[in-house]
Amino acid sequence: MTDMSRLPTPDGASDAAPGSILSLRGISKHFPIRAGALQRVVGHVRAVDGVSFDIRPGETLGLVGESGCGKTTLGRLASGLLSPTSGGSYFNLDAAALSKLNAAYALPEDARAAALAPIEAAHGVTTMPKAAQARFRRNCQMVFQDSFSSLNPRHLVIDIVGRPLRVHKEASGEALTERVVELLEQVGLGRQHLYRYPHQFSGGQRQRISIARALALDPELIILDEPTSALDVSVQAQILNLLNDLQAERNLAYLFVTHDLSVVEHMADRIVTMYLGRVVEAGPTRTLFDEAAHPYTRALIAAKPDLAMDDPQVAKFAALDGSIPDPARPPRGCHFHTRCPVATPNCGWELDDIVRLLERSEDLFEALSDVSRHSDFAGELAFEDEDSAQRLAQALRSDATPASMRSAMESLTVDGRMLKVRFKEVGEVQLSDRGPDHIAACVLKDA
Amino acid sequence: MSISKTDTTGAQTVAPATIASVRGLKVHFRSKAGRVHAVDGVDFDVRDGETLGLVGETGCGKSVTGRAFLRLLPVPPGILAGGSVMFRPQTSCAGCGGEGCAQCGGSGRRPTPCPTCRGQGCPDCQGTGAETLDLLKVSDKKMRGIRGDRIAMIFQDPGKSLNPTLTIGEQLGEVFLQHRSADLLEEAGIDSGESGFQARALRRLAGQRDRRTDRMAAALWPPLRRRAQSVRQALDNRIAAALGETQIPNPRNIMRSYPHELSGGMRQRVMIAQALACDPDLIIADEPTTALDVTVQARILDLIGQLQAKRGSSVIYISHDLSVVRRICDRVAVMYAGRVVEIGETDQIFNDPRHPYTKGLLAAVPTTRTPRGKLAAIPGSVPELVDPKPSCRFADRCAHVHAACTASDPILSAVNPGHDVACFLEHPTSPKTEAAE
Amino acid sequence: MVNTNIDGAPTRRRQDSALRVRLRRGGELLRLILSNPTTVFGLILIFGMLGMALFAPWLTQPNTPDPYQMPRDWGALRMPPGTPGHPLGTTNTGGDVLYGVIWGSRTSLQLSIIVVGVTVVIGTAIGSIAGMVGGKVDEILMRIVDVFLSIPELIFALAIAAILGPSFTNIILSLCLVFWVKYARIMRAQIILVKQNDYVDAARVIGDSRLNIYFRDILPNAATPLVVQATLDMGAIVLIGATLSFIGLSESGIAEWGVLVSEGQAGIASGRWWASTFPGLMIFLWALAFNLLGDGLRDALDPRTESRR
Repeated sequence: MTDMSRLPTPDGASDAAPGSILSLRGISKHFPIRAGALQRVVGHVRAVDGVSFDIRPGETLGLVGESGCGKTTLGRLASGLLSPTSGGSYFNLDAAALSKLNAAYALPEDARAAALAPIEAAHGVTTMPKAAQARFRRNCQMVFQDSFSSLNPRHLVIDIVGRPLRVHKEASGEALTERVVELLEQVGLGRQHLYRYPHQFSGGQRQRISIARALALDPELIILDEPTSALDVSVQAQILNLLNDLQAERNLAYLFVTHDLSVVEHMADRIVTMYLGRVVEAGPTRTLFDEAAHPYTRALIAAKPDLAMDDPQVAKFAALDGSIPDPARPPRGCHFHTRCPVATPNCGWELDDIVRLLERSEDLFEALSDVSRHSDFAGELAFEDEDSAQRLAQALRSDATPASMRSAMESLTVDGRMLKVRFKEVGEVQLSDRGPDHIAACVLKDA
Repeated sequence: MSISKTDTTGAQTVAPATIASVRGLKVHFRSKAGRVHAVDGVDFDVRDGETLGLVGETGCGKSVTGRAFLRLLPVPPGILAGGSVMFRPQTSCAGCGGEGCAQCGGSGRRPTPCPTCRGQGCPDCQGTGAETLDLLKVSDKKMRGIRGDRIAMIFQDPGKSLNPTLTIGEQLGEVFLQHRSADLLEEAGIDSGESGFQARALRRLAGQRDRRTDRMAAALWPPLRRRAQSVRQALDNRIAAALGETQIPNPRNIMRSYPHELSGGMRQRVMIAQALACDPDLIIADEPTTALDVTVQARILDLIGQLQAKRGSSVIYISHDLSVVRRICDRVAVMYAGRVVEIGETDQIFNDPRHPYTKGLLAAVPTTRTPRGKLAAIPGSVPELVDPKPSCRFADRCAHVHAACTASDPILSAVNPGHDVACFLEHPTSPKTEAAE
Repeated sequence: MVNTNIDGAPTRRRQDSALRVRLRRGGELLRLILSNPTTVFGLILIFGMLGMALFAPWLTQPNTPDPYQMPRDWGALRMPPGTPGHPLGTTNTGGDVLYGVIWGSRTSLQLSIIVVGVTVVIGTAIGSIAGMVGGKVDEILMRIVDVFLSIPELIFALAIAAILGPSFTNIILSLCLVFWVKYARIMRAQIILVKQNDYVDAARVIGDSRLNIYFRDILPNAATPLVVQATLDMGAIVLIGATLSFIGLSESGIAEWGVLVSEGQAGIASGRWWASTFPGLMIFLWALAFNLLGDGLRDALDPRTESRR
């Protein structure tokens, strides 16, 4: 769990500071893995693992990461479609309430609950009174990635866009139709589109319909889950322009989830980078792009092909080794250490890293008969023959193993067919301040 | 070197250093609304060893063009309505056996001599002496021989392009069994001159034409079984080598896995391995990295570049992502509504775009410099291509449209050496296209 | 405002309304269904048999006191077709075969409508609960369904009918008890599929109630395979009902095609083919007609054809 007190706070927070529309604290979502005839729970996929951030009124917060990082799950958690395994979300906090929230989370666990109680009663999304929850529902809307599956194919546009108004009994009959027409015009469509089916529109137009539906109740926050990923470049430009215009007109806040760094650089005021369920970096857009502190953020930026020509300096970060680890067994310490080009001995090297190394050499892997763990960092690997154990020990001492991993091994001995190893124990990496409003979870202070 | 343009008589020429040449390609589709002109008069060349980018948005016809090379279009709704795709297959250079020498310019490959005239020059090969095939007109049998062997394709979504019921080894094995069975038999020590029941059975097994009797015999009769196993060994070695080339860790293990057990990046590597298995002359990559994460994409692009440089194959890279195209392509062709509207060296296209659509496309990509809300969005949308009239297809969305634009089709003409544009603004007096159809 | 074009959709008059658009869409669907000649053939057959059932009292004189009992005319036993007054011949108890054919269509209609109606309702309800609620409830319901499905439908229906005693009502009852599982399975699978669509989540984000979401979003989109299956079952039910009647689980002497086939069967060896053949032919035509219609519906409602419209 990340340290709650380490959060980007607005520069010079004062009474004039806006507070937040939505604040997440320690949000986790673990999906159980079931196996066997009785479907017992054998583990958990930690899709989201202790995420905290604030969305300020009127700003665009970009949420970036690759597939499997949990950003889509987080988008659904924020909107209330999924309920978190643990953690809380708080709605519409003014500056005073926000600082009280931060203060409460800075307290140790036992004192926290008492301090949180009043805030939860007033602002907690699941603990607010029903009327307040209804207000949250109206004020937090969502636009989905797949424009085709986000519109009911059997409903007409007027049904789709008018539905929020009907459900909340805001209008009916003629008045409803007129309001829908107004909304359609705001997104660049018109009255002639009222009585058509979704399949009669192009992808970009369907996304406009989705946006019109999201605007119907005049929300304060819209969560956009990769709204333009499926669209062509020129259509994307139209939609992004539209989103910007709407934001300016209505002072909307956006949570913009995407994997496309060019889009997020263009759209977002602040960015949060996620990797394997955790926040690895957060800060203003320009800061992140110019001076990213976390190697993963730098890798994402370097890997993004740009219309401008490549900078040879970032080549080191561009080609990341390996693939995203199994979210059911995330690496210890910093999740990213298995692929990080600048990893240190303190990054959380552990037994599983040896297993991962083994998987690359098939005969050694076949010879492995058992792994017994005393802890995540110490244990024994048993092989079928002495020779394999020796070979692995040799490989671990050679250049084939990253230098930082070698330094992190406190002891490595071969005893017959068994290889005993102990790594330095490190705790989880915490988010730390890197500058005004900029935090990152990396042991390197000046990477 | 500029493209040799079609001469006025419309004869199709293939300049010596090109491996493929598309002229006037038209692919139409029958639909309820009428005849959709998905690809309507596409011209470009693919030079030996280059990476040509085919760029455009949804509906521009780039995928259909790519598939036309392999005749992978469903023919009842699709109609090959005209044009030609001339292809010159290559073989190992006789002088150096594929190593590289002065004769073949270091690549180890030379164009296959024309079977009719054996390299002298004749009408069949248009005087070049190299075997020249019109891929739209060759027989199905010949096409099957070319697919996977001389021309290969990398598809967009590896999750959907790999057979989920076959292991990786089985899928890659198919390519080798189809095209390289003779080599496999040789590697297994079976003499090509050998005759008799065993040899015939082995040839059938290796060529995927085996009958049940062959399989039973191979299972039951030890000598045959041993020899079939050595063929199997040779095959496995080849598969492992192909997988290893794409930097897949632990190829033998992967060979036994099923596609769903691999990650997206690995699957795409498998696809690349499959495409490169028989050392093709031309690779058609249809948005190979669209379905992948950014970091994986970077590595796959590097890999494609490396492999291509090593073998000297040409690549047609189809994509809608301009930034990727900029990074890896030598030349770029921009397509819109079934036509090529601009083609040239990468630098020319990106630094000096001439066609309003290209300019609009480049301006629509969000970059650091663009202020928010001011992305240059091209108004309108792609026109329906049902029975279109002669006119510039971009006319109704173009800011500089004038009378000539809606009167006839613009044709590609040079603005700079190597840089062609089809626009009346650049060529107000470009000759009208001949009445095609 | 950005200019927009809807590709291919012609402009309509201003007075378009939701109702008109939906009717138009229904009309297109109908046209699509009717474009297939075999479907049209099936429809013609169905209308023919429906007509027969509807106008039965006017087509032949109903028997008294119970029109569903075959009339017994001891003076006209075992007459071949073509006999005056008995165009299709008579049975071995003097019943007019034509009478049996016409009134049999009524019994078949009753049978199929009741059974299909009841099973669809029960199956949809159970399948919906399983699909919507999920978890343990889903598990339990599906295990019950599995048990039912492990017994072949015909044998199961046979067993129940045998236990309850031979009568037409009991056949209906046993078929209802057996055939609902299919729909439960289909409905549950469809609901799980439909729930994956974003528009269901969108409705939740709007704040709509689960019940509303079920009726407005999930059910209409999940129902298509059910409609096809129900149509096919209209034919299959009569076939199975006839089988049960044939082996004697129904009352003897009633105007029901299966019973007639059974009773006329003995005469075939003696060359009296008509008493079994004509009712048998009707069973065949009924099943054929609904199968053709069901197939045509399946093709027309196929989502791939939907997107082409």
